[in-house]
Amino acid sequence: MTASQHSTSRGVWAVRILGLLLLSYTFIMTFTVPLGPGIADVRVTTQTVTEEGGVYELEIVGHSTHFSTSAPIVFLRRGEHTLNASAIKALDDTHLKCRVRLPKYIPSRSYDVIVNGKSDGTLSYANGFFAEGLDVKSKARLANDAMAFDQLEEKDLGFHFPFQPNIMESIRNLMLHVPMWFTMFLLMGISFAQSIRTLRLGGDDDRDLRAVAAVKVGLWFGVLGLLTGSLWARFTWGAWWVDDPQLNGAFVTVMVYAGYLVLRGSVQDAKLRSRLSAVYNLFGFCLLVVLLMVLPRFTESLHPGKGGNPAFSSYDLDSALRAAFYPAVLAWMILGTWMYSLALKTERLRAQIADARLTRSSMPLPLLLVTPASTSSLEAVFTASGKMPVVVGVAVIIVMGLGLWWVRAVRELRRLGREESELLNP
Amino acid sequence: MRETWFLFRHFWKADVRAQHGVAGLVLFVVATVYAVYQVVRGRPEPETWNAMAWVILLFTAFNGVSRSLEEDRPEVLAYLRTTVQPLHYMLARTLHNVVVLSGLACLVVAFMGLLLGWADLDGARLWGFVSGMVLTAVALGTTLTLLALIAARAGAGFGMTAVLGLPLVLPTVLVSTTLGGELLRGVLVSDTWHNFAFLGALTLGSGVLGAVLFPYLWRAS
Repeated sequence: MTASQHSTSRGVWAVRILGLLLLSYTFIMTFTVPLGPGIADVRVTTQTVTEEGGVYELEIVGHSTHFSTSAPIVFLRRGEHTLNASAIKALDDTHLKCRVRLPKYIPSRSYDVIVNGKSDGTLSYANGFFAEGLDVKSKARLANDAMAFDQLEEKDLGFHFPFQPNIMESIRNLMLHVPMWFTMFLLMGISFAQSIRTLRLGGDDDRDLRAVAAVKVGLWFGVLGLLTGSLWARFTWGAWWVDDPQLNGAFVTVMVYAGYLVLRGSVQDAKLRSRLSAVYNLFGFCLLVVLLMVLPRFTESLHPGKGGNPAFSSYDLDSALRAAFYPAVLAWMILGTWMYSLALKTERLRAQIADARLTRSSMPLPLLLVTPASTSSLEAVFTASGKMPVVVGVAVIIVMGLGLWWVRAVRELRRLGREESELLNP
Repeated sequence: MRETWFLFRHFWKADVRAQHGVAGLVLFVVATVYAVYQVVRGRPEPETWNAMAWVILLFTAFNGVSRSLEEDRPEVLAYLRTTVQPLHYMLARTLHNVVVLSGLACLVVAFMGLLLGWADLDGARLWGFVSGMVLTAVALGTTLTLLALIAARAGAGFGMTAVLGLPLVLPTVLVSTTLGGELLRGVLVSDTWHNFAFLGALTLGSGVLGAVLFPYLWRAS
């Protein structure tokens, strides 16, 4: 097989340059689009419960809000029941104090807290207030039940990412963490197709090389997906790893493909190796589909888009997120296929050299998941400014992981090229 | 079909004649349960009971499946390759493994009950648990047979079967431990039937995949 057969055409370079442009667009969007205002927390500072009812002092913590200039109104809401808060006082742009007075008998104990003002529009915090010590009666009414919602100020906030309580700024990870898995899917799909062709058509070693190159790059993306997901999970769910069908499925998938490389490493004969690993690869891909796309849909899950918590489902993947997310997926996929073509080049060179020497090259094992130990000061750093450092952390993990890959790949290619030329022209 | 049946009887006869194979597995189950009994001393919590039962079944399955392949000497395989269709060999092997593993699954439950108590299982829920174990044994037998064949072709033994197989059987294990856990918590069999359906679907899926892929493993070279 000559070099000209595998040379890169102009069209491919055009796609790669498009990919790089999209990738820069992704990073710019990820870090510069502002997050909409929202309520980060609602705390009850003091509460007095008497025979007549309860008086609660609330402190509302906002994120990128303008409380001091917008003169907001605050009210509680449950179904058709509403109640205005009084004595509203803005401490600064992100802190607001107010008082709510509830009667002895109330229609429900938990209420959504809603803040409305000129510069931020309507902000709500679901189940932000819980009235302790009062009695629930289904017939009870609140004072402001007939409040007119059309009096509320509306505000066009411009292009921004939607605010989600708890997730906050880390919603930007959508453009970094999620496409890792999309890219892995694509690469494992390429590998699957090549394995089918290996079994159906047999013979050609190049198909086997394509399959293994795709798995190696895909595994790299899978490991980065696990690491970034682990960091994100720590600062949304509070643990580096939670027992969750989606997470277990991802971990098992990565293990299956690591097993694929182990299997390849243990068979000497090239023909037998290509056939055995192709069979295992087909099994593995079917399992990937079952584990990541079928099983999580049948069980409760913390992970977005599945059973329990539909956080990023169609209704709140809004136009701003779409405008950033879809190009991001395309960009990471183009980068992934580019890396695949480099890995394929490496595998081909390796196979040629091995052919020339009649020896087998050693197979590097993939990275294993390492979760760093947590310290409280580190935690404070990560939760500061709406969890923005989590996004930075995720980006750093990805850039470092992929950078490591590129450095390694380029070095390996150079080394193999040198070896080959030495072998051919002694 | 007659070929499959003949091969199955051949494997079975080989097992009966060389008794150390099955006897070794029975001894493995008995010794493991006894070791667990020695560690736990008395009646364990239902969760522990559940975890122990499934882990013992899982390891027995790995042992049983990889054991059955070591018997095929290269000469015998070479002869079979020329006379038998790969699908029939595959079916017979799977059937043989499934029968042996189902028996061992019943033995695991019986011996666990004898030494560690029944952990609140009674009546219909006990039979539900036993049938869950047997169904899991069937699913494990189907999946692991193909993987053990891959490992055998790769010239590696038990270790390779475990490396390749453990991730692949994890969905089965997750479903069946959930099933066992629910039965032990007192959920009625009729309320967890979907787990049985999942197990059946997994068995069917891996069985079909195995039947499609096995001929590629069977070829010489």
